[in-house]
Amino acid sequence: MDLKPGGELDDFRQMVRAAVAQDLPPDMRARQRAFGGLQSENRDALKWAAILNERGWSVPHWPVEHGGQDWTPLQKFVFEDELASAWAPDVNWGATHMVGPVIYTFGTEEQKARFLPDIRAGRYYWAQGFSEPGNGSDLANLRTAAVLQGDRYIVNGQKIWTSGAHDADWGFFLVRTDPAVKAQRGISFLLIDLKSPGITIRQIPEINGEADLCEVFLDNVEVPAENLVGEPGMGWTYAKFLLDHERTTSSFIYWNKRELRRVRAIAEAETLDGLPLARLPQFQSRLARLEAEVAALEWSVLRVLAAEEFAYDLTAVASTLKVSGSRLQQAITELQVDLYGALAMRQFPIELAHQTPTPLWPENIAGRTATALGSRAATIFGGTLQIQRGIIAKLAFGL
Amino acid sequence: MDFNLSDMQRMLLDSAERLVGDRYSLEHRRALRDRQDGFDAGAWASFAELGWLALAVPEEKGGLGGSFDDVAVLMTAVGGRLVVDPLVSNAVIAPAILSDAPDAGLLAEIAAGERRVALAHDEPGERYGRGPRLTRLSRRGNGFALTGQKMLVLDAGSADTLIVTASIEGEDGTVLVRVDKNAANVTAEAYPLIDGTVAADIRFGAVDVTADAILVQAEHGQVVLEKSFDHGKIALMAQAVGSMEATLSICAAYLKERHQFGQAIGKFQALQHIMADMFVAAHQARSALYQSLSVAGGDGRARARAVSLAAITIGETSQFVSRNAIQLHGGYGVTDEYEVSHHYRRLLTLEKTYGDIDFHIRRIASLDAG
Repeated sequence: MDLKPGGELDDFRQMVRAAVAQDLPPDMRARQRAFGGLQSENRDALKWAAILNERGWSVPHWPVEHGGQDWTPLQKFVFEDELASAWAPDVNWGATHMVGPVIYTFGTEEQKARFLPDIRAGRYYWAQGFSEPGNGSDLANLRTAAVLQGDRYIVNGQKIWTSGAHDADWGFFLVRTDPAVKAQRGISFLLIDLKSPGITIRQIPEINGEADLCEVFLDNVEVPAENLVGEPGMGWTYAKFLLDHERTTSSFIYWNKRELRRVRAIAEAETLDGLPLARLPQFQSRLARLEAEVAALEWSVLRVLAAEEFAYDLTAVASTLKVSGSRLQQAITELQVDLYGALAMRQFPIELAHQTPTPLWPENIAGRTATALGSRAATIFGGTLQIQRGIIAKLAFGL
Repeated sequence: MDFNLSDMQRMLLDSAERLVGDRYSLEHRRALRDRQDGFDAGAWASFAELGWLALAVPEEKGGLGGSFDDVAVLMTAVGGRLVVDPLVSNAVIAPAILSDAPDAGLLAEIAAGERRVALAHDEPGERYGRGPRLTRLSRRGNGFALTGQKMLVLDAGSADTLIVTASIEGEDGTVLVRVDKNAANVTAEAYPLIDGTVAADIRFGAVDVTADAILVQAEHGQVVLEKSFDHGKIALMAQAVGSMEATLSICAAYLKERHQFGQAIGKFQALQHIMADMFVAAHQARSALYQSLSVAGGDGRARARAVSLAAITIGETSQFVSRNAIQLHGGYGVTDEYEVSHHYRRLLTLEKTYGDIDFHIRRIASLDAG
């Protein structure tokens, strides 16, 4: 056991910090800083990927032969940490962390050549079409059907919670290609051009005034058979591969660290009878508890990244990161709301989130309550809190 | 002691549930929110007709002289359907301020549904401040000039008359003064809150105020204000209890109706236990409300302490219930298209109005300290 990070990591951090300071456009940074949701503005995600790509940094976690960087896991951690700290936009997650890895791992050479360079360059927005209205937690029962007719699939069905579909160019979908076999085995992984005839997209108004989640209706959509990734019937396996591939991201560790710093800044700026709230015991107590939890979560993430040999199943360990990280997202944003007191009740139109309303109001208040409201989804998406607990009970203890 | 409703209260509750049950659908509320003033004039006329606006008004001022328990019964019903019309400002706060005041018929006009008021109290940089106001009345000619800045004036969107708290030249204490919202040199910037109501920041730039517009004199202002905020908080807490109980019904129905893994999700123990904990919380909340109602008519310390205790319990339980309601609904819970997200947002604003949990903890501590 050696729990000291190497000194060369500091040099790496300084190098990344300087590069981001140079590259990140101020307006993009301002939008990210004010943003009301959990994800950046979709177009910023693409523009930022294009900027990062100039340095070859848009997909550093990919294998080198596909355009990734030969960095250690800890260097990748530092990279993400620095980007989040600098208020860089998130990347188009579906592209760089989901469909990209599936294509370079299971795709044909043609698919790799066709899609990977565009993903690296942020050319298209990719949306994820997994959940359906009747199948959320119980995803394996999905019913959207793709029937092979000649050289194309005819796709019919409905997807929901497809983040950013209204801004997206492409979608990666789980579809049922074989209704005859056991649920998981009839599912395939299909890439669909969202501008295809027969696709209707509806934005769903959300609790915080955003409408980034979408429903996607597919009505006799023709998709070239060459857009199926890997083997027919292996879609479920690929989706599980994705989850195992990204064990630590559900911790939202960089987000949690950054938003905790924001809590502290708000607590210094807001006052009660002239005293900063950060000096009051009741807020000090909440702040210290959250800081303790975030610190522990960061080390939980590092243990996974640095390949600790766990006594328990790795998927169960990953679920602990999701459980802790999602609850922290909520607790941190709840404290942001509470620090603003009655002022937190104001609804700022999402499109004006980067403006301070009038000099009467705290400078950075817009977007905070919206983020807190949106954070209620943190214990729902990507496997609910209850599903995660079930995974832990089963995989860690065989219950 | 009798915890069961009287015949009169039963009738009040039934008629309230009928009216708001028919009218306040999710679609209706979402449409109302898109209006700039967030106000439903037709509903307001019905409220006046049914006597809701006169319920807490004393008989000698033309009201029904109802008890605070009656008001709470009504408030639970409207809370259950998320009626966000300015009932607390007009049917609770206004009577608390004006019942003993020389109000030139203002309270009677409010009770008749002809006029609506908003209390303009909070000022920039405060956290639920109850002390001396920076907004002030200076003597000018036979009357006064009102100067100052108010923030977060609740229900300002639909109000035509403001009741403004201010210090007054030459006296200690706080006066409450009546100002026409459309008077010269009154500048309002209105904006929506997350529950769909409309509040405003309002600036008074040396506004002309006559001496007879002073509703409550400086020596009584503090006492009247504390009573008004406490009554307002109790009414909001009753709404919160109604909202929580409605949330329980919505969730129980959803757990039976939604199927995953081949069965109703209510069959999963993980969700049953959430539902059971929500029930425990809501039950405690109603008890806390009753505890505060038992001393609502009193004055001073005992009332303040009881209201603050209830505010802590109801603030915390309402967050617990409504957050879990969202969790039970999965992705649908975080959309604007399902009721539970509206209950959550409303309950969050109820917690943050007339003192949040932190305020009420501090108030108990300071009451206990002497």
